[in-house]
Order: sequence, then structure tokens, then C-alpha cells
Amino acid sequence: MATLVLDNGAYSAKIGFSQEKVRVIPNCQFRSKTSRLKTFTANQLDEIKDPSGLFYILPFQRGYLVNWDVQRKVWDHLFGKEMFKVDFADTSVIITEPYFNFSSIQESMNEILFEEYQFQSVLRTNAGSLSAHHFFSSRPSELCCLLVDGGFSFTHIIPYCRSKKMKEGIRRVNVGGKLLTNHLKEIISYRQLHVMDETHVINQVKEDVCYVSQQFFKDMEISQMKGEENTVVRDYVLPDFSSIKKGFCKPREEMVFSGKYKTGEQILRLANERFAVPEMLFHPSDIGIQEMGIPEAIVHSIQSLPEEMHAHFFQNIVLTGGNLLFPGFRERLEAELRALAPAHLPVSVLQPDNPICYPWEGGKLLAHSPDYDEIVVTREDFEENGHFICEEKFDI
Amino acid sequence: MVLEKKSSARVEADSRRRVLDEATRQRRLSRQLEALEKDNFQVRIAVPWILHQLSMTTPLSSLPPPGPTARLPTFSETEEPEKKRRKTRGDHFKQRFRKNFTTLLEEENLSDRAEPNYLSAEALPSSLPPRLFCCVCGFPSHYTCTTCGGRYCSSKCLLTHRETRCLKWTL
Ligand SMILES: [Zn+2]
Ligand SMILES: [Zn+2]
Repeated sequence: MATLVLDNGAYSAKIGFSQEKVRVIPNCQFRSKTSRLKTFTANQLDEIKDPSGLFYILPFQRGYLVNWDVQRKVWDHLFGKEMFKVDFADTSVIITEPYFNFSSIQESMNEILFEEYQFQSVLRTNAGSLSAHHFFSSRPSELCCLLVDGGFSFTHIIPYCRSKKMKEGIRRVNVGGKLLTNHLKEIISYRQLHVMDETHVINQVKEDVCYVSQQFFKDMEISQMKGEENTVVRDYVLPDFSSIKKGFCKPREEMVFSGKYKTGEQILRLANERFAVPEMLFHPSDIGIQEMGIPEAIVHSIQSLPEEMHAHFFQNIVLTGGNLLFPGFRERLEAELRALAPAHLPVSVLQPDNPICYPWEGGKLLAHSPDYDEIVVTREDFEENGHFICEEKFDI
Repeated sequence: MVLEKKSSARVEADSRRRVLDEATRQRRLSRQLEALEKDNFQVRIAVPWILHQLSMTTPLSSLPPPGPTARLPTFSETEEPEKKRRKTRGDHFKQRFRKNFTTLLEEENLSDRAEPNYLSAEALPSSLPPRLFCCVCGFPSHYTCTTCGGRYCSSKCLLTHRETRCLKWTL
């Protein structure tokens, strides 16, 4: 029997059999400007030669699965003959859901996985629980860890004491990758060039040029300077999808500080945008979201838990998810936590090599663990006991 | 110099016109935050930016050049493609699987629940003082627009703000 591990994110699905390697695939459908009538599913994105003005159709809304038509199209594609060729009757699936997933969505998950696809057995869980399994497998002497899961829709802080998820300590900051990209899109459109339709392109700009500042107001001053003194400013060459397939930053020595470029490329000039955008993770109130930033929320989470665990949490803060990959994020978070935490407690923030696939790797380990068969629900179980058995066994 | 005087006189004249009350300001803010949740931007006036040549001598705060305002057919956020082809699943099923986030959240009745849940997990408001930035250029700001409560850093940015966003939410 095979086990398929699917970390089903709101933006990308991390999927693969537990014996194989993981693949990261867009968990959505697309329509392109050039072929409006055709809908592209998941990695069919690669077939779109000109992804300017790309239109996204996403199964998730505010981090929760609501558009089942789209989700099933993506899953049909992923499980089908073009991709993973799943033999459902002989396959167990480990699949992730958001924290505090709504009960009706949980029931829909059961029905679709057991009745529509007819998986032999299912383990529904949170990405955090898979990450925690990964963490404790690689550091068996640790008692607690605090996961920071930065995704497309929001950022969660989830404390685990061994395999136990400490629900009372979970915090959600409503800042995710989508908000940052949309904000960047909006300020670029207002300040220099209309890019509101270019979510795909601007998302790439964000990934290529944004960073977390270690000295925010100092960087504000630097980014206001003229000419060479401004060490923050970058010129980003936008793709035209014919001769330039992918955007890139002009090397510093090729930058023209006054006057025009003669190359005829389409250029965005980015200065304070580079670090003001990821700053929302630390200060959501900068754009009017009245919530704590991540460091404050972490401290608030830890304070809500038994005091004897505090030292263990502050020492084992683990970053997962694609939205925390900004250069400088780990250092800044550690510095801010150092300042906020009680002075006698050591603080350590760890960033795994691949934060996006860290939960998936945890799922892979779990699939090979000796008691895996105990924690799944089989199709017979479900047919006999219905949703009840899933509520009993799964900790969502 | 003369030009600057003129514009500040105009700014003053503008400011006597109208002042947005707190409720309106809050509504504008939630509309802005709502817009940041969109999966796709709804094209009103499409300006294909590929056609524009951005001059590097233009200061950052200047507006995009007025481009060709072709009206492209728009995609809709809720548009359901290939609706006709799928008739395999029952109506009951369809209805159950067609609820949006707000409906689902309401149905959960979370405000009555004692155990930790989606609502209780939201991070509380920060105890740190708010940081204020110019709504035009993004640099730290010291002044507040008397009309809408937006922030600005200089008379140049105030003018841009008045001409573009002050009494309208354009994006
Ligand atoms: Zn300004
Ligand atoms: Zn104003």
C-alpha cells in the first residue's frame, strides 16, 4: 500500500508519495489574457507562454476551502494519469487543513476523500502537526516547539508540547503572502506604473527584491537619499515574456541613477517598497489591521501557556511556510523576541533549509512510523461510523 | 515659488470644502483592506503597462502617465466557467458545497463557544504606538489631511494626495 502526502495549501499544494520526493504545484486554476476560454489547472501554468494579466481561480477564501469545484479539478488533475496516477483502493492519504477548520468543511473533506475518491484510508491533520512531528523526530530531546506558519492567507503561531497541539496558545495574524503582494501591487500602481492586473509578475517582484529590515527607520532614511548613496534602491527589469522571460534586478554597477536607460526595458524603481511591504508581518497596523505583529503575538501565545514550558518554547521557535522566506526575517524576529522575552530565557529562532516543504517532510516521516495504521481512518471505518470516527481520531 | 504658493492656496480652498466623518473614514479603511483580500483585481480601465516607457527622471511620487484607456472584457471573481458541462452532481450537493467564507463562519456560531476557535485565535490589537506613513510616498509622515485623515509628509505629497485620492478611493 502506498501513502500519498498532500500538504494542501491555499496557494500551493506540496504533494508526493511517501517513498518519493515532494513536488510544489499551484493549488488553483488560471486563465490567461491570450487564451481566455481555456482554463489551466495547477502546473498547466507552465503551458502559458505569456502570463501577463494572469487570472487566478482559487479554491480557498481567507484561508478556508470554499470553492470545491476548483479544488476537485485540481485534485482530479493531481491524482490523475498525468500526474500521480493514484490507485485509490490501495492508497492512504495524509492531507492537511487549516487550524480550526470549520466543521462543515471537515465533513465535506470526509465525504470527498472517502466517497468520491474512495481512498483506502485517510489521515486529516494540520501542516503544523506534521512540522512538529518533523521537528521532534530530528530533535528527540526537545519537549516543546513553537511553530510560526507563514502562508498565503495568514500567519499562525502554533505551540506544540510533544505531539500535543496547545490550542489555547494558537494565534492568527491576518497577514499572508496574498496581502503583501496585493499591497505591493497597489503602491507600485499608485506611485509609478499600473500593475494591478499583474499579480503573478508582482508576486515575483516581491520574492526577488523584498527583504526584512534590521533597522527600519535607518533604512527609511537611506532609501530617501539621492544617487549612489541610496544603497536600498533597486531597478527591477520587468519581463516582456518574449526576450525577457523572467524579471530580475539590474546589477548595481549597471544602474543609471539619473536619466533614462537606453535599453528600452520596462523598469520598476523600488526603494522603501522593498522593506516596507514585509514590515506588515511585524506591524500589521501600518496598513490599518489592528492586530499584534508576529513577535508580539508569539510572546502573547507563550504567556497563555504553563510557565514551566516558557523556556522550551522561546528556545525552539521554528519558521515554516513560504511567506517567511524574506531575507532578514529570522534575524529580525529573533532580535525582537530577545527584547520582548524575559531576560533570563534564551531565545532561538530556527529556519529549516526548506520551510515550504518542512510539513510535507514531516508527513513523509509520519507515513513510515510504526503506529501509522493506528492514527488513520479506513474507508470501512468511515462507512460504518461516519463523521463521528473522524472527529474522534483527527485533531484539526 | 509662485507655483508653490498657488498650489497651497488651492489646497486650503479644498480643505474648506468637506470633512469626512469618522464613520466614513472607517468605511474607507475597511474597503481598502477588503481590496487587499481580492484574488484578482477587477479591471476598470486597463492600461497595458508593457506599452509604457517609464522615465527614470520622474520622481517616485509622480503618477503613471495617462495610458490608452481601452476597456477590456473583465473576468469576474465569482464567474463559474463550464457551468453547463457539469450536471453529474445533485443540486443538494452543489448547494452544500457552494457556501462562501462569511456564511460558513456564521454557521459555526463561534461566539458562543468556550473552547479556542477561529475567532478567539485572532491576535489582539498591538500595545505598541501606531507608526504613521505618508499615503503618497510611504516615508514617515508628520501631518494629517484635515479632510480625510490620511497622512502626508510634505506639501508636494499633500497636493498629490488631494488630486488623486483624498475624496475618492481609486484603486
Ligand atoms: Zn510623502
Ligand atoms: Zn485627504
